[in-house]
Amino acid sequence: MGYTAIEKVLSRAASKPGARAGEVVHPIPDLIMIHDGVVQSSKVMLDKIGINRLSNPEKVMMVSDHDVLYGSAKAAERGSFNRKAARDWKVGHFFDVGEGGHGHIFPMEDGRVLPGMFYFDNDTHATNAGAVGAFGMRLGPEITSVLATGTTWIEIPQTIRIFLRGLLQPGVQARDIGFYLARLIKSRVLQIDLDNRVVEYAGDLEQFGLGERVALCSSPTEMRAAGIFIPPSEKIFAYCNTQAKISFAPVYSDTDAEFESHHEINIANLQPQIALPGGVGNSVDISESVGTRVNHAFIGSCGSGMYEDLLTTASILKGRRVAAEVRLFIVPGSQRSMRKLVEDGLMQIFIDAGAMVLPPGCGPCNDAVVGPLASGESSISTATNSNTGRFGPRDAKLFLGSPLTVAASAVAGHIVDPRSFSADETLSLMKSAAYG
Amino acid sequence: MVDFDWILRGSCYLLGDDIPHADGVIPQRFIIDRETDPDVLKHHLFELTDPGFVSRCKPGDIIVAGRNFGVGQKSTGYIAMKALGLGVICESIPTQGYRGAIYAGLRVLAHCNGVTSMCANGDDIEVDFSSGLFTNHTRGLKKTWRPMPQSLQDLISKGGAEAWLSTWWARVAQAEKTDPAASQSPL
Repeated sequence: MGYTAIEKVLSRAASKPGARAGEVVHPIPDLIMIHDGVVQSSKVMLDKIGINRLSNPEKVMMVSDHDVLYGSAKAAERGSFNRKAARDWKVGHFFDVGEGGHGHIFPMEDGRVLPGMFYFDNDTHATNAGAVGAFGMRLGPEITSVLATGTTWIEIPQTIRIFLRGLLQPGVQARDIGFYLARLIKSRVLQIDLDNRVVEYAGDLEQFGLGERVALCSSPTEMRAAGIFIPPSEKIFAYCNTQAKISFAPVYSDTDAEFESHHEINIANLQPQIALPGGVGNSVDISESVGTRVNHAFIGSCGSGMYEDLLTTASILKGRRVAAEVRLFIVPGSQRSMRKLVEDGLMQIFIDAGAMVLPPGCGPCNDAVVGPLASGESSISTATNSNTGRFGPRDAKLFLGSPLTVAASAVAGHIVDPRSFSADETLSLMKSAAYG
Repeated sequence: MVDFDWILRGSCYLLGDDIPHADGVIPQRFIIDRETDPDVLKHHLFELTDPGFVSRCKPGDIIVAGRNFGVGQKSTGYIAMKALGLGVICESIPTQGYRGAIYAGLRVLAHCNGVTSMCANGDDIEVDFSSGLFTNHTRGLKKTWRPMPQSLQDLISKGGAEAWLSTWWARVAQAEKTDPAASQSPL
């Protein structure tokens, strides 16, 4: 019996050849990631104990993405604390505000998270690493133990294999697949529990570039998957090779690997999806919510913050304007994308359309530290989830859609089927070249 | 393991399925603020669903919950439960929440199918977290489920991650004193 990708990666990292799903191991990570929101609580705890150094500071990547603009005095104090912590701890890879960008995006673009890698992260969306065939595991506050000791326990997850059959129609995007998948799970059409499982995609994956692969990681994560794995295509592998800062070796599941279960989804006839307020599992075909007024729109986040997503947005906004009384925030995932959108003329398109471009990072998706809603308002966005209160007021209505749907809806002023909008062809074509 | 009480006995606090962590266990504002201080959090457990709970509960009381207890990504409320001396027995708990609870040093028995049908609010109940034995003294019922994993019992008995790390660090410092060349090593 062969091994799944996660079994291979964790047995390598834990130096336990042949380890299987269900075993508890202590893997030594290739990287340890922590974001700006939790550095302070970690440092305060370690200081209290007297632990004044990290076990492997050269492996630590500290990113500043959750609160970039410092809209409060408390946030500025936290930023100042984090800078000092990075110095005191001799953090190997510190990315201050204005550097790097979103911690679940720029490290893949920059060749710091690479196929076959394993890392620990405090944040849930570390699962994005699956887009390049790597594993990032979320630990929450436990990251503090890893900073101090270098490892922690993990029960090797089972893997659920989901076969995507068919080619997406124009106007339908990878985020739509995620919303649809979440709906199938929530409604028990697919009887699977993703808690502490890895989702491995298979099937017609060649159609997906890096940005779409990142988007595929989003919804299963919200449904509690511990990891996502998308076998890297030759194109992804070639891109990673051009960017790699360290050596790496891709890993794939064996053909006779033991998966917990197999499922197939036909995506050839999929319609654009809207996740109704309350969560990704509340998705419906877009025809059921067309016409709903929106006051606020946002494109970015772990799920849709890649350069392809910016090209998608620009392809709709070019020559158009955001509707009156709608505010549209666009949040690039990285400094690299920010630079590129100026070079490629996208910034001009956004400005002309009346959209607001925020600095790279999480944007409103981090509990609305920027760009919140007013009571009673409605939003459509590409945020990772739409939990009550995520964008501020508890009575605000949060709808989720693909970047295409959000951009088109921001122009219309209400939820609209993006297939009724012509997209700029030149910009659409640039998507396939966005990463290599 | 010294002086650690694996057995809790107290009053049953019964909850249903799918209790959300945010607002269902502890108000969301503490999660958003990333509050981790037990002295702050212990005043706000179940504040929105049952105001006054924290003044009524006593150390040793046990929260009995159904499936998917504390659903969400966070574990802020478990810090409050630990600070109040409570324990948890439930039918299931998301892995992220479970890890957070263990990290906080909370005594938790997960995967106890049917436990919610074996007790009512206020029953005199007892849980041995190291053997998995549940006893309802009011109704004369007993059942054994899977105990807390052996590999995590050290962490729990030391009082959670902070206390465990203190012990670990003292060991590292001692080793360095006897052998200055010894470096900080993984577990």
